[in-house]
Amino acid sequence: MPATVQTRDPRWVGQGIPRVDAEDKVRGRAQYVDDLLVPNGWHGHVVRAPVPHGLLRGLTPDPAFDWSRVVVVTAKDIPGPNCIVSHDRSMPVIASDEFLYAGEPVALIAAPTLRLAREAAEHLRIDFEERPAILTLHEVADQFKHNDPALVKLCGQTIRKGDAEAALARAHKVVEAEYTAGHQEQLYIEPQGLVAEPTGDGGVFIYGSMQCPYFIVHELCEALALPPEKIRVKQAAVGGAFGGKEEFPTWLAGYVALLALKAKRPVKIVYDRHQDILYTTKRHPVWSRYRTGLNRDGTIAAIAVDFLLDGGAYLTLSDVVMYRGILHAAMGYRCDHVFVNGLVARTNTVPSGAFRGFGAPQAIWGLESHVDAMAAAAGMTPHEFRLKNCLVQGDTTPTGQVLKWSVGSPAVLEKSLERCRFDEQWKKCSRGKPGAKSWYGIGVSFFAHGAAFTGDGEARIKARAAMDLDWLAPGRPGGIVRVSSTEMGQGALTVLSQLAADGLGLDLSRVSCPFPDTALVPNSGPTVASRTTMVVGSCVYGAAGKLKKALEQFAGKPIASGKEFDEIASAYLNKHGRLRVEHLFVLPPGTQWDQKTFRGDSYPGYSWGCNVAEVEVDPRTLGIRVKKITAFYDIGKVVNPVLAKGQIEGGLVQALGYSVMEKIGIDRKGRFDASRMQTYIIPTMQDIPEMDLDFVEFPFDHAPPGAKGVGELPMDGLAPAIANAIEAATGLRMRDLPITPEKLYEHSQKNLGR
Amino acid sequence: MSTVKRTWVVNGERWTVDLPPGRRLLDALRNDLGLKGTKEGCGEGECGACTVLLNGEPVTSCLIAAGQVPDGAEIMTVEGLEKTEGGRILQEAYIERGAAQCGFCIPGMIMSSFALLSKTRTPDDAEIREAHAGNICRCTGYEKIIEAVKLAANRWPEK
Repeated sequence: MPATVQTRDPRWVGQGIPRVDAEDKVRGRAQYVDDLLVPNGWHGHVVRAPVPHGLLRGLTPDPAFDWSRVVVVTAKDIPGPNCIVSHDRSMPVIASDEFLYAGEPVALIAAPTLRLAREAAEHLRIDFEERPAILTLHEVADQFKHNDPALVKLCGQTIRKGDAEAALARAHKVVEAEYTAGHQEQLYIEPQGLVAEPTGDGGVFIYGSMQCPYFIVHELCEALALPPEKIRVKQAAVGGAFGGKEEFPTWLAGYVALLALKAKRPVKIVYDRHQDILYTTKRHPVWSRYRTGLNRDGTIAAIAVDFLLDGGAYLTLSDVVMYRGILHAAMGYRCDHVFVNGLVARTNTVPSGAFRGFGAPQAIWGLESHVDAMAAAAGMTPHEFRLKNCLVQGDTTPTGQVLKWSVGSPAVLEKSLERCRFDEQWKKCSRGKPGAKSWYGIGVSFFAHGAAFTGDGEARIKARAAMDLDWLAPGRPGGIVRVSSTEMGQGALTVLSQLAADGLGLDLSRVSCPFPDTALVPNSGPTVASRTTMVVGSCVYGAAGKLKKALEQFAGKPIASGKEFDEIASAYLNKHGRLRVEHLFVLPPGTQWDQKTFRGDSYPGYSWGCNVAEVEVDPRTLGIRVKKITAFYDIGKVVNPVLAKGQIEGGLVQALGYSVMEKIGIDRKGRFDASRMQTYIIPTMQDIPEMDLDFVEFPFDHAPPGAKGVGELPMDGLAPAIANAIEAATGLRMRDLPITPEKLYEHSQKNLGR
Repeated sequence: MSTVKRTWVVNGERWTVDLPPGRRLLDALRNDLGLKGTKEGCGEGECGACTVLLNGEPVTSCLIAAGQVPDGAEIMTVEGLEKTEGGRILQEAYIERGAAQCGFCIPGMIMSSFALLSKTRTPDDAEIREAHAGNICRCTGYEKIIEAVKLAANRWPEK
């Protein structure tokens, strides 16, 4: 019988195969930065501003201390402009004449031992003149509400659709409320850590724990006065990141690189937990104000939102966090008249930064709490109201984007409500009934999450992936995935390997996906925004397909088996050497975006989710127990169901912490007040609820094989679902996160007093 | 500086170490013995990433002064797991169920699992949660770790 080559279904995509790095991790063999030997390495330490705002008059070394044993770096040692490029070049690597937050670096010290470096720091006197400081979100929110000119705006942006003010004036009913949430710490279990080594050619090699290797290259090349190719960056195993290792490692890379270049030897900094919580970025605190109008028939007439983020001392990435926030602040519901006013304000605190969801959880916290308020005002149940008003295929978003494809609404909403029998359970809610032993409540939230970068961001960065045909081992040819996406626990190496194997039509054993090293990989963009599987994965899939075609052309025949691949690939490698093919991501045809007016297609696609929370509240102690979460998600084509579910479970538990546990404020000295694991409390195995989770697949056809984002989605909607459930249980509407028994008590007393 | 000499049985092998004053058991294992599998996540006994078994009991090695661990003590770290049948079963179960994500908490987590299953072959849900309450994981939401422990319990060797 003649052999026929058949196009077969993808073989690896869709399978819940074990992670490619699992074995190393359960054997304790994965090498994180602090596990690596650094021959002749010194330890670095950062000398920090003692108060939240001051003019730096000078640094006075103690003449009694032997400074010959250490290396000190100040702003004067920076060869180029003293800035981390980021978005506005405003943040110095090391403060020179003014510092804007307690803990801002004023000097760096390296020494053979960490003890000596710390000892030296104590002998360096910081001379400064203290200036007034603004420390909290509440202060800036008050300034905003009273049009106080003292408010320092780091950036602003609006979204307009129709005429929200006119529609509010005409509305049958108007519902108004404010919602706030504090900082949240990423609390990856591996603290921040990097090593820098001078290279022979005057450059520097930086390696360790990070999400975005090319950020370090492009944001430090000016300060280090080095061409990008002389800054080589490689990731080590990363022990969790969640956005916390997005922009912060660039700052840390600046510290170790400057020290290493001056000390002419490798320098390592690994933070201890206390330093890590005190001096690294957190989720932006938010204050939002919703004014919404309802029509008589229970549809939404207008949504007007003020959305204010506490950006901390410098802009860093806060503009983009706010953009994602405002794009989600009125998303999900049909409404012709929308106005969203987004603002980032300065406080004298550590710059706020990336954390899973990147502004969307803050926005959805307000919106989905407020939807319950609108439902009540309309005389409808929360689920009826959502089913009536949710966006579906063909509807238009606040930016005017028509949802043309891959719309998992209302499927996720309908399926979640059905799975948990919401209608039935809703009738059982206690609503603070006196005399009950326990109060029961159920609450729902529904949301979309823009997949990949905002607007035309993906087109602007020209993300690409490469596949190398090379020897995986002597005599064993295969495809090597070359991307700058990092493995930080989410499973990128595994998922990208699955996609590469399917692109090649080969077994997983003929594919390898090593940690990125900027000396070897093209820039596929940062490992953020739930874009890796969708955007970079699609590029890998495309590049692998091209590689296969190139080999088939070389051989003049199709490759139908692994054995044939081995023969043809070996012949190619022996004749020509390594072969690299690249694939570039392209936005769906017709994508239009105006970055100035925020009109157009704000994201190439959306993932969709629905969370239902069931809670029990103890009427005596007001202790809150989240008993069960039911959730459906549309993340497009699910590449690895086990890993995807792991992302959802882990994200939901982080969101549980955000909702009811994780509390961190700013003390009078401008420092975080819960700066140890003893005081910053996150969920343990004892705290987790029953979780009933499932997917509905609406593949995204413009990025084969059709995945959308998953990583951030589970962080988005749980807090409002819980707040809605708590109201159903207690009759108390909580509008500030985290919702603690203490806050419930205070609120109940206020209500009694009325 | 005066040091103290201690001889322990670590993962079944005899080791003699010279310990300067104040050295933590965690540092002795990582730096003196080169067993880098055990991790430091907080240095104050909260996260559990540094959990090892000391004479069969799970302890946070960042809180123990190495000099106070007596001669002859038996210590087991993540590197020792694969030398035991139960350890291999646990590792397989963790892999199969997708219990490791970033993996940084796992060297401690899996030692708590091992200590539990070594004592209680058929733990119930509450016992599993209690046994791992001192191990913080920020990635997984714990579900898959619980599944892995249950799977390993099913396969645990008869005495």
